[in-house]
Amino acid sequence: MSNETRSKKTKTKAESSGDGNKSVISVCLGTGGIAAGGDKVFARFEKEIKSKKLETALGKRVCKTAKTGCRGLCARDVLVDVTMPGKKALTYERVTVDMVSQIVEDHLVNNTPVKKWLAKDDYHKFHDNQQRLVLGNCGAIDPENIDEYTIKGGYKALEKVLTKMTPKEVIDEVSKAGLRGRGGGGFETGWKWESCAKYDADEKFIICNGDEGDPGAFMDRSIMEGDPHAVLEGMIIGGYAIGATKGYIYVRAEYPLAVERLQIAIRQAKENGFLGENILNSNYSLDITVKEGAGAFVCGESTALQYSIEGKRGMPRTRPPQSVEAGLWDKPTCLNNVETFANVPIIINRGAKWYSKIGTEKSKGTKIFALTGNVRNTGLIEVPMGITIREIVFDIGGGIPKKKKFKAVQIGGPSGGCLPESLLDKPIDFESLLEAGAMMGSGSLVVVDETTCMVDMARFFLDFCASESCGKCPPCRVGTTLMLDILIRITQGKGKEEDLDVLEQMSDEINTMSLCGLGQSAPNPIISTLRYFRDEYLAHIRDKECPTATCVALHKYTVIPDKCTKCTLCIRNCPVNAISGSKDEVAFIDKEKCTECNLCYEKCNFMAIK
Amino acid sequence: MSDINLKIDGKNLTVPEGTNIFMAAKNNGIYIPGLCYHPKLTQYGGCRLCMVEVTERGKSRHRFSCAQPVSEGIEVKTRTPEVEKYTKSVMEYLLAHHPLDCPTCDKSGECGLQDVTHDLKLSAGRFKTARLDEPMKRDNPLLEYNTNRCILCGRCVKVCKEIEGVGAIDYQNRGFKTVIGTAFNKPLDCSFCGGCVSVCPTGSWQDRTLKFRARPWELKKTPTICTYCAVGCTVVINSKKNQVMRITSDDDLGINEGNLCVKGKFGHEFINSSRRVITPLIRKIGILCPASWEEALDHVSKKFSEIIDEHGGKAIGGLGSEKCTNEDNYLFQKFCRTVLGTNNIDNISNIKSPSLNRLIQDSIKNRIVATSLEEVEKADTLFFVGADVTEAHPVVGSMARKAIRLNKTKLIVANARNIEFNSVARKDIRLNYNLGTQTILINTLIKIIVDEKLVDLGKVESSTENFKELRSLLKASDMGIRKASKLTNVSEDAIKSTSGLLAKSGKCYIICGKDIEEDPLAEDTIKALLNLCVLINAGGSDKVSLVFSRVNNNSQGVNDMGVVPDFLPGYLDINDQSNRKTVEGSWGVKLSDDVSVKDTENVFDLASSGKIKALYVMGENPIVSYPNGKKVKDAFKKVGFVVVQDNFLTETAQLADVVLPTSTYVEKEGTFTNMGMTVQRLNKVIEQVGNSKPDWQIVCDLAKKMGHSYSYTSPKQIMEEVGNSVPIYEGIKNSDLAKEGFRWVSSVYNKSEPVKYRFEITESKLTDIKKSREYPFVLLTGSSLRHQGTYSRNSSSLVSLASECFVEINRNNAQKVNIADGDMVKIESAHDKIQLKAKTTNRVPEGAVYVSEDYEWAPINNLRVNGYTNVKISKVK
Repeated sequence: MSNETRSKKTKTKAESSGDGNKSVISVCLGTGGIAAGGDKVFARFEKEIKSKKLETALGKRVCKTAKTGCRGLCARDVLVDVTMPGKKALTYERVTVDMVSQIVEDHLVNNTPVKKWLAKDDYHKFHDNQQRLVLGNCGAIDPENIDEYTIKGGYKALEKVLTKMTPKEVIDEVSKAGLRGRGGGGFETGWKWESCAKYDADEKFIICNGDEGDPGAFMDRSIMEGDPHAVLEGMIIGGYAIGATKGYIYVRAEYPLAVERLQIAIRQAKENGFLGENILNSNYSLDITVKEGAGAFVCGESTALQYSIEGKRGMPRTRPPQSVEAGLWDKPTCLNNVETFANVPIIINRGAKWYSKIGTEKSKGTKIFALTGNVRNTGLIEVPMGITIREIVFDIGGGIPKKKKFKAVQIGGPSGGCLPESLLDKPIDFESLLEAGAMMGSGSLVVVDETTCMVDMARFFLDFCASESCGKCPPCRVGTTLMLDILIRITQGKGKEEDLDVLEQMSDEINTMSLCGLGQSAPNPIISTLRYFRDEYLAHIRDKECPTATCVALHKYTVIPDKCTKCTLCIRNCPVNAISGSKDEVAFIDKEKCTECNLCYEKCNFMAIK
Repeated sequence: MSDINLKIDGKNLTVPEGTNIFMAAKNNGIYIPGLCYHPKLTQYGGCRLCMVEVTERGKSRHRFSCAQPVSEGIEVKTRTPEVEKYTKSVMEYLLAHHPLDCPTCDKSGECGLQDVTHDLKLSAGRFKTARLDEPMKRDNPLLEYNTNRCILCGRCVKVCKEIEGVGAIDYQNRGFKTVIGTAFNKPLDCSFCGGCVSVCPTGSWQDRTLKFRARPWELKKTPTICTYCAVGCTVVINSKKNQVMRITSDDDLGINEGNLCVKGKFGHEFINSSRRVITPLIRKIGILCPASWEEALDHVSKKFSEIIDEHGGKAIGGLGSEKCTNEDNYLFQKFCRTVLGTNNIDNISNIKSPSLNRLIQDSIKNRIVATSLEEVEKADTLFFVGADVTEAHPVVGSMARKAIRLNKTKLIVANARNIEFNSVARKDIRLNYNLGTQTILINTLIKIIVDEKLVDLGKVESSTENFKELRSLLKASDMGIRKASKLTNVSEDAIKSTSGLLAKSGKCYIICGKDIEEDPLAEDTIKALLNLCVLINAGGSDKVSLVFSRVNNNSQGVNDMGVVPDFLPGYLDINDQSNRKTVEGSWGVKLSDDVSVKDTENVFDLASSGKIKALYVMGENPIVSYPNGKKVKDAFKKVGFVVVQDNFLTETAQLADVVLPTSTYVEKEGTFTNMGMTVQRLNKVIEQVGNSKPDWQIVCDLAKKMGHSYSYTSPKQIMEEVGNSVPIYEGIKNSDLAKEGFRWVSSVYNKSEPVKYRFEITESKLTDIKKSREYPFVLLTGSSLRHQGTYSRNSSSLVSLASECFVEINRNNAQKVNIADGDMVKIESAHDKIQLKAKTTNRVPEGAVYVSEDYEWAPINNLRVNGYTNVKISKVK
């Protein structure tokens, strides 16, 4: 059964939504959009359209509201696209419920966009510097409607694969494209599929790893929420290539919207013959189930994830055997990341040759990053491999806000590393990141400015890894805790210079001796901060001073006269009246009276107390 | 599997494919530190101590040896400076976490963590400590758990899940706070096998029966055979100053791979119990008074002689022991037959299933009896018929689980009760047949195999004597699968897939349990089982074997030794004149002609009818364990003179005229024969407690007193005689027994020529279970995991663990009569009544109640009559 011959019901639906004579209002309803009030905005739009009877009033120009997935620039949510018939979509940013009626009145009824609310230049700059392949559909289509996906060419790749390609050819195509796993390790996808395909078993599994757990990462969530069918299509193609009998999508339960949309997508795919028995009348059958994880970070590790699906505690196991030989329930299992699967239909549709032109020699295609931290435009970006950090932070991200200076960028989440200003022109690909002491990870990119203490940041990430350790092996369970103790001591001014040697030794030991990637990479933030920001550590140890005045225990509770604006906020807030000064005089803290409650520091808006 | 050549630390080795580097090194005397790997558990790889350097194709890499299978030509270095540095670092982390409270830890001296610390020559570490501060968990009488000492090697979690099938404990929390614990931190509720203690490399899990009574280096460790059930596990008795302190196990000894059950592991306190009878007792003016051995034996010999003179030897009945050694029993029956001149001897197991000995002999002729119990581990299919393995033979359960884990063995459990058996099997077949329909179920399996030609019927035809007879019987029977399914309440699908699995290729072991053997229709059911095995083996290639359950540690041996009326030792039919001649020749005595052959008239029947004037009971407590309480009490009332030799003043001993104190299994030598017919040797651990003597010694002394020259000086000598005169034990050598048990079935197989198979032709019958309006429930009895007779009753820790014998009532029945869990319930039969606490369950079928026979202080057998007993239950307000 091809797309054209599907049931009549869906066909008419497909036609209606593709009607060019309609004005479409698309409201961003990813998790970010909803958090910003997107569902309320969406409801108000529907209400307004109904009350204004736009359908009848405007004759043929039928109005329609559409839910879409995330479109990247989450900092500007709620984002609303208004597309008038025959015109390019215009984007409103930071839309609130109160703005809805005016947009409907001016733009839809009178066809004059409300200019003051339209997205500014930097919104476009944010988008123009990207290459949105995988995210192409996100924010453009209604993820809960399969027809919008098929109209954009969805499931064409699957049809091609099932009708014209052998599993071997599929694998070859993916290999030729040079697709590498987007989950962090950068393992060659084609090779993985090939090694799984060669095992013969009564049951074989294909698993999609949607257990995105890095702090500040939300690429996979956005794809699952914004374009769930792309993930499914990639999985089915992968399943066909390796001969899988069953598929699982492992999503953390903290992503309820992703779970819901995936389930809707699975249901719709089944109804349309893309999933289930004899897919598209071929001999290939596959069923896919969504498995909700309980949110342990370690369950993103492939073997722990498989145990979790089996109903066991998510703890990584040693290898061999590799999962491709004996994974889930000891059967051959192929596990790929969400983004990896979403790349597959693109490769099949446009060909390995086209795809492999994007990116660098060893890292092909695009990569999605979650850009967060001290940067103007936070959000989701998709860029070709090989782009420099500078391009991402300054061109797409719009630079550092509040006239602060760029200090570093933490790439790859808690397992990644901090790269300093000197590496701003480093191209981003799997190899060069590793070489610089970071890693691709799942693609979180946290920008930090000059006010961030690197010791404290290392402590934060290590704390995360230590508390997310599954507890199986001592280097990770005990080692990280011991390291954390040392870091905490340093941030309290109790560190010794020898501690830095011990930290370096331990980093090496934990990296070598830990069982899984979580433990092995847990010391990375420390290694990279020690490598690039050793001075800051030494300042904490030798001078008992935190250069950015972040580490509370090192606060001296003195006022920096140059920075004090004489606003008297600290004076008013001091509970023991230890601070003197006035509108004309810089504040002064009386050490005799001060109880070091830290309230003045917290209240000061100008970082004038250290 | 082929062999792999590799080099470890310069040493060339050849090991089987699939071995990991850790075991390859260990088996060849090369030390690699490690705390989480255990050969009997699945690989874990959590302790990170077993790192080695592996050079393969010129490339050197660090590998964890427990996770790395050997491969051809690799070169392994276990101690490079790098490896040492990293391994030490992990130990340093572990020791920063461990409380190092060795002075107050019972494990100190046999602690894995101490050993590795010492082996790696660890000195002061770089770190301050990072410890947990959790309270000791002490919520049961046997085990305690110290969270702080735990290194999370995971062994206990795996032993509990994989070996014991319980899964009572698992990891909790994440990160540094990860600990081992029970679900919702409830008190530990498991089978208390103590496997966690056995595998724990640190002092986290502790055996509370030892608690601070001895340091490990003070303990003398002596392996011997367990005295509880018929599995015959090897236990290691840890003693200090002639007292048993605790029991451990050794993975390399015996048949149990270091696995034990709660009784075997913790039920040792009876040995040094203050309730032991430690001096002979003679009844004077109605009271049992201490006496000297001389006095007691004089008294007994005089009394026996008087009775022999007056009524003849046959007026004395003897009851042998399922708990005593083969040597004790052999000498006991020889004494009865030659000195007393009676053949009126028996043992409880033979009384409970009178046809079993003969049926086992038939099965051996057909070569379908398994040659050992451990073979269960090699099974591809396991079929438990009426066998409650979990309660009765827990370590066989572990063997089965090993098979299921490693061979993906298919499991079929057929039982009238919905018994518990847990394993990793993703699905197993349960046939919960209606009470009394077991013979029909088995015959239906046979019918399907024949009808659907699941085996080569031509081959069956040619290799059996009477296949035609069986076929015509099957044809004549109107018992089709539909009818059988309805009668048995087992689905047609389940019956069909069972037949399919049994007939399928691969080794299959059928464990025939007590519920079959003690059923009034036992003979028919076992014959049907025999036919099933013969059919499959004759039609294929000898792949099905039968294992007959036995209850006690030497229930098999007591029968082997001829403590039965109709068989001389080694199942020589006493009515066969040539057998009599041979034995008379070797013993130099003429045997009594009088033999009670009828199954209906055992030694207690004879006593009740006044034909027996005196009873000589060795190591049994029939007042409690005999399955017909009224009859046994009558018998003892009638008998004029009772001699009981036992460790404790049991209910039976309390009725005796003379009580002779005996030594327990750790105080004597000898052999036990387990239900796999393996003869295993005991080792003496401690000196006799008090004035007690081993049973064989008492029998010897008594024989001497009665004018016979019993010149045995040791059990070794007795076993020599057995080896020379009892055909099935021919060739047994005491010295060989030190290494390995003697498997008499396989020795019989080796010596005899195979004979043509023969089917036993019997019709399918239903067990007669009487219906009664007054007594609407059927009383079922069975074994208990936590108790077994006098020994467990006198082990205080076991008693405090399981102080209550429950009556199990089906939930639906209980609801109707308004009985809830824990209610006191009166169970009443026509003979007697008893009050027990209720446990409502779905393990018992509707219309039945279940009480374990093994709680001696709850003598359920008093209520029973022959066959199934009808009872009524009522709530006690």
